Amino acid sequence: MPQVKIIAKNFMDMVASLTAIKLDKLYNNVFICEAILRSLPPLAKKYVLQFLFTDEPVPAKDIKEWVLADGVSKHGVAIDRLIQLRIFTETVVTVDRKKETCYSLNPTFQKNLQKHIISGGVLPREPMNSNNAIKLPSLQELETYALQQWECFLLQLINSGQGEKLTGISSSMMKVFQRGLLSQRDRDGPRLTESGFQFLLMDTNAQLWYIIREYISNAEERDVDPADLISFLLELSFHVTGEAYNLNTLTDVQRTTLKDLADLGLVKLQQGRKDSWFIPTKLATNLSVSLADSSVRKEGYVMMETNFRMYAYSTSKLQCEILRLFARIEYQLPNLIACAITKESLYNAFDNGITSEQIITFLQQNSHPRCADRVPSIPENVTDQIRLWESDLKRIEMTQAHFYDEFPSKDVFDGACNFTRQLGGLLWEDSKRMRLVVKSEVHNQMREYLHTHSK
Amino acid sequence: MVNAIKGVFITCDIPMAQFIVNMNNSMPSSQKFIIHVLDSTHLFVQPHVEQMIRSAVAEFRDQNSYEKPT
Repeated sequence: MPQVKIIAKNFMDMVASLTAIKLDKLYNNVFICEAILRSLPPLAKKYVLQFLFTDEPVPAKDIKEWVLADGVSKHGVAIDRLIQLRIFTETVVTVDRKKETCYSLNPTFQKNLQKHIISGGVLPREPMNSNNAIKLPSLQELETYALQQWECFLLQLINSGQGEKLTGISSSMMKVFQRGLLSQRDRDGPRLTESGFQFLLMDTNAQLWYIIREYISNAEERDVDPADLISFLLELSFHVTGEAYNLNTLTDVQRTTLKDLADLGLVKLQQGRKDSWFIPTKLATNLSVSLADSSVRKEGYVMMETNFRMYAYSTSKLQCEILRLFARIEYQLPNLIACAITKESLYNAFDNGITSEQIITFLQQNSHPRCADRVPSIPENVTDQIRLWESDLKRIEMTQAHFYDEFPSKDVFDGACNFTRQLGGLLWEDSKRMRLVVKSEVHNQMREYLHTHSK
Repeated sequence: MVNAIKGVFITCDIPMAQFIVNMNNSMPSSQKFIIHVLDSTHLFVQPHVEQMIRSAVAEFRDQNSYEKPT
């Protein structure tokens, strides 16, 4: 079975994959420099700060001396990352008639960051004065709006065929997002693929990432420069949540982008008598933060009982659909979904490529506040049983292999054992009766080995 | 001279191994597929029976579960 995994890759991996010219252009923007600095691994961050006010290239050898022996791998990762992002430039300088590799900071990046550190950051655009008759939504309202919009979008994403048009996202755009998540089969309509199921169980930020990534990689088809899009999105993440920003500070491309983002719930568009403005929501400002520490704790809604019954306090259709992925919906009340986790419902989920760990994390992340305080939030017998049912499916492990016996001597046998163990191909051995089983991949090497050694 | 046989190596728990051994014994002798019983948790079988064993195990599992009618 092909293992399709949806990895919510970092924004920065995307930045790193841009061409050199585009990257240099990106670094003209102070905010991008800052966002990138934030995203670096700790050691790389330290190097950048250490280099910040050094104008001359520093020999690679000297940098290597800064780290202790057990930090060498981290050092390598940091340097690779910096070169990949073109923050460090490699130059070969001849010192004492010996060639040496030296590193120096990208001059634009360096200048911008210096400026930023000395004089502090100024936002790309000022928030509008709050007194000119704008009624700003409260943070609470804004968050509800954002989540509602996002949920609407997700529901449309998975229910593509049925259902009325809810958001303003064009159907061609929707197709792009669905690519990979749904398999298009004409007969029984679109069906969720394995990665689609995994996508639904991810938390909002990871989902957002996936969608934004698709959005950016599709940019060229819409005649939009991906670099512009990335810089705009990063810029957006430095805006203050809940403040209004005037639309006339944006370029045309940014304005069309903003419309799409509003459909996703990243910004809220409002129109006054004279001008219109946009208000970034929490979803937007979380964009540049690295994934690990940004999982916003949503209010949970699932209560799991030790008898495998699950009560979900939710009115949302989307959440019902998600629960249906791995549980049996028994009945629905206006604000409550009652379901049960059964062996069959779980086998269904496992068939669709969802793992027990994903289900358990989903339950833990979404447990009702009253349950979330308890340790453990999901009864242990339930989590254990889910894992047991999964391992029940994997009771047999089969490997294509070759079986060897009738070795002429103990020495040849031991030699063959060691040889295959080094190749990582030894599956089983019986030294008393001199029999062994190796993976089929190493059969040919094994044959050659025996040919030379059994003489 | 060393002798080599191609096949499938199976690792599983003891009851599963017994299940497979029993399956093998119930077959007519022309269709027996176990080449060697290596130890209580390892078997070595003919290369083509992988799918057959899997489906037999799945069937066995289904017989042991009961779905509540809706």
